[in-house]
Amino acid sequence: MAWNFEKPLVTMVDPATNEADKRLWEKEDLGGITEDNNRMPMPVVLLVVLTVLTAFAVTFPLWGQRPTASLYAGYIKSMDDPHVKAITNDDDAMKMIVQLNKASGTLDGRSMEDMLERHPISMNDLRIIKPQMEALMASGVDLGEYEVVGDQVVLANFQGNLKADGTIERKQPWWDKGYTIDIFYLTYFFTMVIVMIKRLPPSTWQPRHNVH
Amino acid sequence: MFKYLMARNEDIPPGASAVFFGFSAIIWFVIGTGLGSFNAAKLAFPDFVTGDMYFAFGHMRQVHVMAVIFGWISMAFAMAMMYITPALGNNKLWSEKLGVWNCMLWNIGLLVALTTLWAGITSGREYSDFPWPVDLYLATCVFIPLGVNVWMTIVNRRTQGIYTTNWFFAAATFMVIIVFLVGNSPEFFHLTGLTEAYLTWWFAHNVLGLWITPVAAAIAYYTIPKITGNPLYSHRIGHLHFWSVVVFYSTPAAHHLMSAPLPEWLKSFASVEGVLILVPAIAFVSNIMLTMKGKWHMFVENVEVRFTITGCLMAIPLNMQGGFQQTRAINWYIHGTGWIVAHAHLALLGFSTFLEAAAVYLGLQTLMNRKLYSLKLANMHFWLLLVGFTTYWVSMTIAGLIQGAGKIYEVPYIDVVIAEHPYMIARWLGGTLVFFGNTLWLYNMWMTARKGTVIPAGRMPHELQYER
Repeated sequence: MAWNFEKPLVTMVDPATNEADKRLWEKEDLGGITEDNNRMPMPVVLLVVLTVLTAFAVTFPLWGQRPTASLYAGYIKSMDDPHVKAITNDDDAMKMIVQLNKASGTLDGRSMEDMLERHPISMNDLRIIKPQMEALMASGVDLGEYEVVGDQVVLANFQGNLKADGTIERKQPWWDKGYTIDIFYLTYFFTMVIVMIKRLPPSTWQPRHNVH
Repeated sequence: MFKYLMARNEDIPPGASAVFFGFSAIIWFVIGTGLGSFNAAKLAFPDFVTGDMYFAFGHMRQVHVMAVIFGWISMAFAMAMMYITPALGNNKLWSEKLGVWNCMLWNIGLLVALTTLWAGITSGREYSDFPWPVDLYLATCVFIPLGVNVWMTIVNRRTQGIYTTNWFFAAATFMVIIVFLVGNSPEFFHLTGLTEAYLTWWFAHNVLGLWITPVAAAIAYYTIPKITGNPLYSHRIGHLHFWSVVVFYSTPAAHHLMSAPLPEWLKSFASVEGVLILVPAIAFVSNIMLTMKGKWHMFVENVEVRFTITGCLMAIPLNMQGGFQQTRAINWYIHGTGWIVAHAHLALLGFSTFLEAAAVYLGLQTLMNRKLYSLKLANMHFWLLLVGFTTYWVSMTIAGLIQGAGKIYEVPYIDVVIAEHPYMIARWLGGTLVFFGNTLWLYNMWMTARKGTVIPAGRMPHELQYER
């Protein structure tokens, strides 16, 4: 089973081993079952390549995020608006808050209005998180690094890019080390599978079944 | 079965353990789907059987799930391994006696396990619901003996090479033991919190990914070339399939917990790997479809081929769903809804059940040397299974989308319940068709054993004409 690197994309074993493998392949009866040595059809190869590209493209963290605390900063400020304070009914007050924050621009490149619509919140929820939010705003931290989880405003569980001060950004990056690990993992996988397949006789050879 | 427990190994007829496993699997399938139909009736008609806690949905749901996974599916796998492994090595099963004991201990263990579950003794963790003593029993008395028999049969084979099916059998029996022991470690070592959550889904994911999916596929690698007489299209695509199952299916457990506070990089990693489960699926489906070249008439004419190809075709929607529903973009919508229930049934009742049913049909006829008693009943079984499953899958998928919308737009819960009621009735109807089909199957195989036409030595069941 010596290695042969003359034409690695055709075969990686020496001719003698290839011949022995071919003889065995044609001679051996595996419970009446035989196997051919076809290569993977090109459309299927392309499908696998497309799958790998899609796997990265579709999993980038663009959707399905928890709301960051910054999403509700406007709402919290609006709670102290005299017009809102004048409303006694919670539902009406909430409608007014939403109205006041309409067309409030973008957050991380996405429409604030759309995101607020996707993550609705009630006056009760706002009352619960208000003290925590105000404390954070007073301390001057980036609210984009905090999330609202139930009744808690917490530091996000992200491990993003390194900031200039050496701390880790707590925002979802478009790329994280999970993808880096994936790239290494995929590279190892395809390298090993190609090596394994190229240790077989070349795909230009097909066994002649039932001739022995 | 009992007379062989104390017999010498040489005195037990070859294939005895496979036959016992085959009939056990069918009986558990009838029980499991019967329970499923009962449970579905409770969701469709809330006033159906109330007032007794033992018939409450919370008690019975996991009994249905476990009966189907560890009774029907896993025993059908054991049946396939007991006869296909030696057939591919041109030898006998390493120990028929171990196989017979394995079958008996499996049935007794499962009966006790499901009884404890029914009584409410549970770990409370989905898919690993059994309490830890049962987990240890299943590992030591069910999966380790099964693995030993498979590995030793392969070690003692009379061929130089090992056919693709046996790679999967040997690896899957090894992997399921690891999955069982590691996946249940939260109970053995009282692990809590995120570790428990992660390992719970590591177990649930890998029971599917490293046990059910590869073994079901391995069966197709046997049945299609065996019955059609065609060579397997490509040995090298088999390599891609096998290694991509091991590599890509073992890693995405975190994609079950996309909304949990796990590290985001782990979710990113798992999510990419989750899409990459399409790689083994593409390899598997293309290899089997191309093997069918020139024999597509058998898809219509031959029951085993029809079951196998239908199962293979279901691998396409199964993996498209599985690959994409776990991404952040889709998971936030369908997580925790009936969509997932539909997907789980596509995996277990669609894809894998059709492949296993083919193995049991082929295996029982071959081992008992009896032609199938009734083709009509087999055809009815196929159509009841297919129509029943499809009704279930479509209705639950729609119900899941309704629930997702209700969840995101904060529709009052009771409104969602009312909106999905028709789909719950359809679910019950579909499940009941499956159950009814399985009772016909049990009758057909029982009659095959008793009155099936004898198959002459050296012939395959499909080479003989049906008599009824």
